[in-house]
Amino acid sequence: MSTPARKRLMRDFKRLQHDPPAGISGAPQDNNIMLWNAVIFGPDDTPWDGGTFKLTLQFTEDYPNKPPTVRFVSRMFHPNIYADGSICLDILQNQWSPIYDVAAILTSIQSLLCDPNPNSPANSEAARMFSENKREYNRRIREIVEQSWTAD
Amino acid sequence: MRNKEPVLDDGEVEYEAGPESCWGNFEDDDVMQQQFSIQDDEAKKFPFVGDKEPLSSLAAEYQSGSPILLEKIKVLDQQYAAIRRTRGDGNCFFRGFMFSYLEHVLEAQDSAEIDRIKANVERSRNALQTLGYPELTFEDFFTLFLEQLEDVIQGKETSISPEELVLRSRDQSVSDYVVMFFRFVTSAEIQKRSEFFEPFIMGLSNTTVEQFCKSAVEPMGEESDHVHITAISDALGIPIRVVYLDRSSCDTGGVSVNHHDFIPAAGDLPSARGSSEKNNPFITLLYRPGHYDILYPK
Repeated sequence: MSTPARKRLMRDFKRLQHDPPAGISGAPQDNNIMLWNAVIFGPDDTPWDGGTFKLTLQFTEDYPNKPPTVRFVSRMFHPNIYADGSICLDILQNQWSPIYDVAAILTSIQSLLCDPNPNSPANSEAARMFSENKREYNRRIREIVEQSWTAD
Repeated sequence: MRNKEPVLDDGEVEYEAGPESCWGNFEDDDVMQQQFSIQDDEAKKFPFVGDKEPLSSLAAEYQSGSPILLEKIKVLDQQYAAIRRTRGDGNCFFRGFMFSYLEHVLEAQDSAEIDRIKANVERSRNALQTLGYPELTFEDFFTLFLEQLEDVIQGKETSISPEELVLRSRDQSVSDYVVMFFRFVTSAEIQKRSEFFEPFIMGLSNTTVEQFCKSAVEPMGEESDHVHITAISDALGIPIRVVYLDRSSCDTGGVSVNHHDFIPAAGDLPSARGSSEKNNPFITLLYRPGHYDILYPK
């Protein structure tokens, strides 16, 4: 059945195919437009460079009035990402607005990688390391990047 | 002799808040979030838009409360016939504005007004495009509003009654889309005239105009202030009267109720029905700190 949420997601998908922002890709799973797989590539010239991080986006019929549930499938080490892969990002919670389509969501998450918000730690170890020991922090990021190549 | 307390590990306590509360990093924020969620649940018990009620229902709320407010409600009672409440979910201004405007169009059946508003809606659409908003993110909201506008015009197969308008305003799939439409129009107007709005926004939130729109206009549930009201009134060319019911009083004796008319900046006002009435707002909202309801003049 074609609901407003599904119609909108088709247009999100078309835009992502025809006009993909650099370093992200995403597509609905076969037979289920409400569940997407996506990949975010670590931005060049940062410790994240070379990483390929997989995510899932679960939409409801309330989309775009409500945000999708976005979760990293790849293992992450980041001040604003929980151990289960869920992400602490204002636009995915209380600052959500329908102006964000899938391309914009993924772009925002990509910029969060290099630009963590230390005021809302989801991983306190990563948050502490980010502010107190950047060298060790960057080493942990490199580990995560390497893991992203091998893990399923 | 005191019992030995078990010695607590001196290490830092790590708070790992759940995703629901992660934008707050201390316990206080968790408590606040919980408070918000209780308020949310309370708000949901009330429909988006209530039934028309006599002003005595307003007085009943303050029966054992402030005498100033009761005096002011007496003054209101002389000028206004009824109140229609809106849900206190942060969208009350836009929701009240939506209902009040569509109800006005339904009653007035003024085709010039409909043409005028459609032209302004198109101007807002162009403004969003110019600002670089992808069409797909706002077109559904525009379409749905224009459909409501068409449907309140009588004499067609799709025409709706006043009762149906109430039902639609309570239906989330219509009501939230129209509220969001107004949020888009408001955001476009503020950004289009950012030089004009900048000082007001700096005074309110000390952020850039763009940041203000992203954080205080475009997300659902963000409350409206005079910046939002000025912007929507200007963008659509619709005058709005806001009546203030608060504890302020003046020394000169008699109690009076203040109001402020938001008159669109552009010369583009609803069609003149005799010049004296030209600027008379047909939308009246009652403001109590933090909330807007609809008022019906006598």
